[in-house]
Parts: sequence; C-alpha cells; structure tokens
Amino acid sequence: MSETPEIAEPAAPLLEIRGLTVALPEGGDRAFAVEKIDYVLNPDEILCVVGESGSGKSVTAHAIMGLLPKPDLRIAAGGILFKGRNVVTMAEAEQRRLRGHRIAMIFQEPMTALNPLMRIGAQIEEALEIHTDLGKAARAARVVEMLAAVGLPNPEEIRKSYPFRLSGGQRQRVMIAMALALKPDILIADEPTTALDVTTQKQILDLIKAIQRERRMAVLFITHDFGVVAEIADRVAVMRHGRIVELGAAEQVLNRPSHPYTRALIGALPHGRPADKPAFAPAAAPILAARDVHKVYRVAGTRVGGRRELVVSDHVNLDIHPGETVGLVGESGSGKSTLARTIVGLVKPDGGRIDFAGADLVALDREGFRPYRRHVQMVFQDPYASLNPRHTVGDIVAQGPVAYGTPRAEARARAAELLRLVGLEDSAVARYPHEFSGGQRQRISIARALAMEPKLLIADEPVSALDASVQAQVLKLLAEIKERLGLAMLFITHDLRIAAEICDTVGVMKLGKLVEIGPAAEVFGSPRHPYTRALLDAIPGQGWAPPQDHGGS
Amino acid sequence: MNRDFLHAFARNKGAVLGLAIVGAVILVALAADLLFPASPWEMAGAPFGRPLADGMLMGTDMLGRDIASGVAHGARVSLLIGLASTLAAVAIGVLLGAVAGYYGGRLDDLLMRFTELFQTIPNFVLVVVIVAIFTPSLVSIVVAIALVSWAPLARLVRGEFLSLRSREFVQAAITCGQGDATIIFRQILPNCMSPIIVSASLMVATAILLESSLSFLGLGDPNAMSWGFMVGSARTVLRQAWWMCFFPGFAILLTVLGLNLIGEGLNDAFNPRLRRKRKA
Repeated sequence: MSETPEIAEPAAPLLEIRGLTVALPEGGDRAFAVEKIDYVLNPDEILCVVGESGSGKSVTAHAIMGLLPKPDLRIAAGGILFKGRNVVTMAEAEQRRLRGHRIAMIFQEPMTALNPLMRIGAQIEEALEIHTDLGKAARAARVVEMLAAVGLPNPEEIRKSYPFRLSGGQRQRVMIAMALALKPDILIADEPTTALDVTTQKQILDLIKAIQRERRMAVLFITHDFGVVAEIADRVAVMRHGRIVELGAAEQVLNRPSHPYTRALIGALPHGRPADKPAFAPAAAPILAARDVHKVYRVAGTRVGGRRELVVSDHVNLDIHPGETVGLVGESGSGKSTLARTIVGLVKPDGGRIDFAGADLVALDREGFRPYRRHVQMVFQDPYASLNPRHTVGDIVAQGPVAYGTPRAEARARAAELLRLVGLEDSAVARYPHEFSGGQRQRISIARALAMEPKLLIADEPVSALDASVQAQVLKLLAEIKERLGLAMLFITHDLRIAAEICDTVGVMKLGKLVEIGPAAEVFGSPRHPYTRALLDAIPGQGWAPPQDHGGS
Repeated sequence: MNRDFLHAFARNKGAVLGLAIVGAVILVALAADLLFPASPWEMAGAPFGRPLADGMLMGTDMLGRDIASGVAHGARVSLLIGLASTLAAVAIGVLLGAVAGYYGGRLDDLLMRFTELFQTIPNFVLVVVIVAIFTPSLVSIVVAIALVSWAPLARLVRGEFLSLRSREFVQAAITCGQGDATIIFRQILPNCMSPIIVSASLMVATAILLESSLSFLGLGDPNAMSWGFMVGSARTVLRQAWWMCFFPGFAILLTVLGLNLIGEGLNDAFNPRLRRKRKA
C-alpha cells in the first residue's frame, strides 16, 4: 500500500484535555491525582505519556474512558473534549456510545483482560453487537478480518478458541483486535507491553505502530519506559506528581530534554553498553561451580492422565569466581530464577552438582546445608512480598544471624549498622516494612542478605519492580557493596540493558538451557547464538542514544 | 494500623452492639456471686412465681429456685465452656493446619484425611457420644466440644499456610537458616491471625449453643447451673410458666447474637476490601 507523506497542516485536535484535575480522597499524600493537565491528541499521531508510578499517567486515560473508581476519584475541574464536545458533562448513555466505539482501550495485563469463559470471537463480537447493526455473518467476517489484521495465525480457529489456549502476546493481539473492531478514532494503550517479554514487546510495538500508520488513528500510549517511547512516539508528555513537566516532539524531548526531571529520568536509564572496565580476570578458583544441573517440573496435563514435562533447567553449567558479577538473562519461563533458587537450596534439582566451598550442595540434606547457607544469600524480586509485614525492619535484618546463634543484642546493633550502610535512617530499625517505599524495601532486603556476611549474593530481578530512577540507585548500591565487600554476585534480570551495565559475565537462558555465556562485552558485542541476537534486537529504543552530557547522576 | 483497625471496627454499629451485649454478659457472669450470693440451686421463693412477684426479677421455677440467679450463674458456665473449648479447638486446629500446610505432601494428605474424618461425623452426635462415654462434667464437655470444632479451623489455617509458604519473605527466612518452628510460629502464623481470630469468635458462639443443647438433653454438668439445663428442665411446663424457658433462652439468644456480631465486625475490620464494599 502506498502511503502519502505526512499531512502538511495539522488537523483539528481529536482529543483535548483542558485543565483536567482529578481529586484524590481526603487524607491521601496529595490532594490531586492529576492537576491542571493540558494536552491535545491529534489525528494520526502517537502521543506517549511517560512517568514513574504514581505520576498520574494512567489516571488521565482512565478519566477519558470513564473508568475512574467512584467515588474515590472524581473529576474536580477541567474538561475532556472529543472533537470539541466535552465528555465529562455528557450524559452517561452518550459517553457509552463514545467508549469502545470512537475511543478504545487496551490494558497492561493481557492474562486477565479477557473473559476466560468466553470464546475469543464472542468477546470481539460483543462490541460489534452493541455498537453496530451488522448481521451475524458480517460480524463473524469482521472478527476474522481483525484477527488477521493483528497478525494472528489461523484467525478462523482462534475465533473459536478460549483465551487459555493463547500466550500472553497472542492475548494482547486479541485485545488490540477487539479495540480495533469498531475502527475507533483513538486507541488508548495503558502500558500494553509491560507484562510481556522483550521479544513479544517488540512485536506488539511494531504492530501498534503499523496499525496506527495504516489507519491514521490517534494513539495515546502510556508507558514508564523511555526505550519504548523512543521506539514509537511522535510526541511525548512527561508527567510527575500529577503534572505535565514537559511536552513536545519525541525527537526534542528525547535528545534535548529541557526539564531537569526529564533529564534525570533519561540519565537514570540503563544505557545498555558494557562498562568500560577491563574484562574480568578470575584470580582464584570459582567459588561456585554448577555442573550439569537439571530440573524438570511435571505439570498435570489438561487431559485425564496426560502429564506435561516442563524442563526448567537443562544440564546447566555455570562458574562464579570470587569478585565476579555473573548475569543471567532470559525471558519469563527460561529457568533463570529456578537456577538461582536451586543454588540457595530452595529448589531441589533432579540431578547434577553444585560445588561451593568444597561441598556439593545438591547432595546435602537440610541440616548439612545449614553451614553453607549463610554464605549464599538472596535478594528477592518483589519488595512488597519479601519482607514479613508483621516484623520490624530491625528484626527482619537481625533474624538470620540470630538463627545462627548471634546474641540478639549484638545482631540488632549490627542490623542498625547495615541499615545505615544501605542508606536508611537510624529510625528504620523500629519501623515496619509498610512504612517504606519499594526502593527502600529493596535496601532492607539487601541489608538482610548482608547480615549473614555472605560470600555469594544472588539477586533475583532485584530492581524489576522499581521505577527507573530508583532502579539506578539500587543498582549503584549493589555495585558499591559488592566492590566494598568483595562479593561474588549472580544477577538475574530480564532487562538486557541492566545486565550489560553491571555484569562481568553474562549468560543467556532459553527454555532451561544456557545457550550462551561469556564476558559481557563479547556477548553483547558479538553474540554468537541467534537467540541472543533476537533478544538484543528486541531491546526497545535502539535507534536512540540517550544524551549523556546531562545525565542526572 | 491498630488505630485504623479500631476505627474500622467501631464504624460497624452491629459489632459495637455485639461487643456491648457480650460485655454485659461477662459483667453479669463476673458479678454473679455479688448479685446472687445464694446458690442458684437453693429454693428462694414459692414455686411457679411469676416474674417481678415476691421481689423475684424473673420469677421462680418449679422448685422455687430464682431464675435470675440461675441466668447469672449460668452465664459463667456458658462463657467458661465457650472460651475454654474454643481455646482448645484453636490450639489443635492451628497446630494441625500449620503442620499440614507448611510441610505439604504425604503428611498433609494424612492430616487432612484425619480432619475429614471429624468433619464427616455430625458434630452434635459426636459430642453426645463423647460426653455420654466420659460422664458429664465441665472438663468432658469442653473436651468434647473442642474435639468437634477444630476441624474447619485446621482446614482454614492449612489454606493460609499453603499460600503464605511460597511467599518470598518465607523463602528469605529459609535462606537465612531459620528453623521450621521459627518459620511456622514467627513468620507465617502472625500473618494469618486475622482469619483465625474471626473464626474463633464465631466458634465461641457455636460452643455455647452446643453446651446449651447438651444441657437441654440432660447431659450437662450436674453441678453447674446452665442456661441449657434451665430451658430443658422447664420445657414440660412451657405452657403454664413461659418465663422459666424464656429468660435463659433469651440469654442464649443474646449471647450468641452478640458473639456473631463481633465476629462479623472483626471480619470486616480485618478485611479492608469487604469493608469498602459495605460502605458503598
């Protein structure tokens, strides 16, 4: 299809947000979720709204769709104009006609956005049934057309299947097909790729971009990831604490950010280039050597008696030297977390050996493992689930040493010291985890691991639940501590940019197999395995080199 | 967090009413000896005395015993049995549920089949059988009620443990080298206290009902005046002397109602999501 170049003069805006203010319930930490927001969405453009969690980037979109949770959040002032008509003051019925029909939305979590008990076709047809007077056959034809348009193989068959047969990426495609079924003017995408793996993310981003170009739709794309912004945005709005701090053309905001907050955000991005330090040269024998470790989960199949085997660790070999940071990267389900859990003894492998300080950890029983346990410590992924909500922070950090016989008073004094080391105030000791932010909790988690004076620290996606700016701080802390205490570290992440930055050695995992391992510079510079190349290609925003001069360090 | 909890609890008017009722019952039970120093078994007036006649607030029964005194002293027995049997049941239920949920596998299967054994036998029949075998006394009644009440709690605690066991803070405790007992009692148990407290408060009500039913059948402790016994012994003269059944029966109703209201209030207060729904 031959596309005509960009329309010369800007058309009238499709959607105008004018001084929108959404009030939060009283007693919150701020009065407004978003305050005096102004932006316009033009036809045929992708506007990216970027911000960290709590910046109010989703609230605006939800206000447009009438999805604000009543009565907690309400529009206090301002208007949302769709083709010049104010949606806020519209009658409920009229709003409904607009929603789904002229403005469609896709969500972050494709796994829960589809009704598990309805066939895919029926779910897409629902909107057609409500908003159009197409006949049954015409509706079915439209569904197939849409499923084909979002690049799903075998649309006729997918129309008749239930959501559980589809992968996350496929479901997100179905969501997009559903949103597009009525040929809306505006597509609102709320972090549509955050829950997906990088390679799937790339496909979905490409799809959204292609569909937008083809249909000349307006897309309001909400994300926290500047890489994604660089990939698809025409214009960018940066939000912070419920206000827009910067709004402009993508090229300008990304390369010449004017607001200090934007600069700080971009500066905090992992740049994804291997650090310029000399290649790691092991000075001693490996502190940990995993040989031929394998583990298979047997999952009950869907049919009676049928059992599926899920290989999560396929004869993996891995060495970690003292002082080395080994990164494990891979997509979800690649077995990287299982390997970490095997090393700390939370998962018992089916076979293989893990040599640590002269003993084979796999062969040890729980009692035998105990003396080694304290030397291998783990920092968990979810800062909200990894701290016991009923214990004070001081207790949480002191518990490990106490279990190994350190007198309580001494352990608590040491805990206070460690909490200071990870950058928390002295008062933290007596407080409970819920009083801390995600980044602070992850610091507590690190202090807990350090309390055991480990030789090997295993960090399982320690920053993936954190905002970019906090991410950078926690990574810096980890690197500092590692340096200071001379630890070896196994760092697990799905984000290749982070792995490139902090790891000496990087291993790439796919379906339980370690497909490639080597010095970071080598793996990222000249990847040998096609899967590594695919992963590297999928990193969003590759064409964009963040301006380094004003990095907010 | 505690103040929030109290606020949430106090917002529920039913729960506050329940607390007031149960508080009053406890007061009466504690003050029974002061209010009615004489034994409730002793004759205090003419038989079949109507309420308010002869200075008897609630009248007298067939043998001339003061019903008000019986209700006050009966409150002691009911509360004592309710609390003691619930404590025993909670101890058994939490222990078995925690062990089953934490260790899983064979042990879990075994303990759960054992639990089901108790769940499948009708509660009341089992209580009657146990009490009948070990002559009725306060102790045997408490043991019998505890034995039939722990099973649902064990299942509840097992479920909580199953879901909490895989939480990262528990795994962190394992990697810190903490022992199983520490993990069960210090890490996991405090996190499932709220459902345990809620169901325990409801169990007290059930226990009081069970005890009353036993006494009604004449299987109560023969030395303790209890509400169930009073209702049971007066049922033959129900048509001539309504008050003999009415006051102890009403006491049972009020107490059980109060405990249920408290249980519900605790449930709402512990569960913020339900709390919000109720408000809307």
